[in-house]
Amino acid sequence: MNQNLFASFNIPAILGIPLVILIIMLPATFITPTNNLINNRFSSLQQWLIQLMLKQMMITHSTKGRTWSLMLMALITFIALNNLLGLTPYAFTPTTQLSMNLGMAIPLWAATVLMGLRFKTKLALAHFLPQGTPVPLIPMLIIIETISLFIQPVALAVRLTANITAGHLLMHLLGDTTLTLMSIYLSSSTITIIIIILLITLELGVALIQAYVFTLLVSLYLHDNS
Amino acid sequence: MLSRVVLSAAATAAPSLKNAAFLGPGVLQATRTFHTEQPHLAPVPPLPEYGGKVRHGLIPEEFFQYLYPKTGVTGPYVLGTGLILYALSKEIYVITGETITGLAVIGLYIFGVKKFGPSVAAFADKLNEQKLAQLEEAKQASIKQIQDAVDMEKAQQALVQKRHYLFDVQRNNIALALEVTYRERLHRVYKEVKNRLDYHISVQNMMRRKEQEHMINWVEKHVVQSISAQQEKETIAKCIADLKLLAKKAQAQPVM
Repeated sequence: MNQNLFASFNIPAILGIPLVILIIMLPATFITPTNNLINNRFSSLQQWLIQLMLKQMMITHSTKGRTWSLMLMALITFIALNNLLGLTPYAFTPTTQLSMNLGMAIPLWAATVLMGLRFKTKLALAHFLPQGTPVPLIPMLIIIETISLFIQPVALAVRLTANITAGHLLMHLLGDTTLTLMSIYLSSSTITIIIIILLITLELGVALIQAYVFTLLVSLYLHDNS
Repeated sequence: MLSRVVLSAAATAAPSLKNAAFLGPGVLQATRTFHTEQPHLAPVPPLPEYGGKVRHGLIPEEFFQYLYPKTGVTGPYVLGTGLILYALSKEIYVITGETITGLAVIGLYIFGVKKFGPSVAAFADKLNEQKLAQLEEAKQASIKQIQDAVDMEKAQQALVQKRHYLFDVQRNNIALALEVTYRERLHRVYKEVKNRLDYHISVQNMMRRKEQEHMINWVEKHVVQSISAQQEKETIAKCIADLKLLAKKAQAQPVM
């Protein structure tokens, strides 16, 4: 057993040199751009996936919003690959670190807000007041909307961190449980193994979905403010 | 660097060349030519169609071939087993909770690959095939279009060869029309002339008839005038006598 349950979330270091940069750069090595028309199966599938995500996500945006396509596609690919690679045993997942998620969320969210304030000031400010509110409620509602606006980046980052961290924690816990139960009561450890398998399936889904949700919300903020 | 050695050797051999040693590298660089061969990026070497063969999805086949002469078929497996057991028994690899999770992940992954691998591969192949089919279709459509144009051109040329039939028919038609018009006009002329001549003839006939009638009337009138009253009485009495005689003859005859 590790020192504590959270040891796997420590930043890996060799002799004090943090390796986290290399770990963050690793998923990029799996995306292989080519100039050929006909590629091997791996590249063809990657191309098809990115085209699918692109069409699905950028179709609702205007021309100005579509200038963000590269950013958003890179974002979703990065987060999805990081999450998926974190499922392998003994892997470190960068997206479990709040620092990284905040570093992704705050600039993107701020960019959308500033863009909206700069180009469509009235429309962006009008988002603070939903239509059809009774007049006495207006001051309170504006305060609430402002708070909800400023919570958006924090929510983005914390959502991602919490989901991935929770999943990893559960997997570690169940693994330890199974190991301990194997010497005590074998059949219940088979039950825990089955639970682990189900959990891994869930984790796969969560990994992809969280990436999708992150990117979708950023694109939503963009759509509001483009 | 070799050039400096050569030039320094030449300097010792021929003292007049000693000062040339400073020019050595420059001379060499000046005489080195670039771009004498083709650039090696073209022709692009073809990509291999299939990847290298691996056993158990991880270990290249070449490793097994490498160990085969010394250890036979089971060599690599014995090596792998030994390494694993060594790592486990010496606690170089510690079995923790992570091991269980790792085994579960790897097991799930292998299950996924075995189950969905072929269909995903077929899907990827289909993607490529669709791209090629699109281009092939465009090419075939273009070829067909050009072929159709060529065929139409040939047909047009063949038709042009047969154009003279059309011209002959048209020429004949025009000749017939001209002939018909000529004959028609001729006939009309004939009719007009005949009309005029008939007029003169009928005028003449009429004149003659009128003269005849006039003459007859004149003759009758004079004859009637010339018959005096005495002659008329005598003639009438003779006629009555002749009639009586005839009546008698007529009566006599039916009795017989």
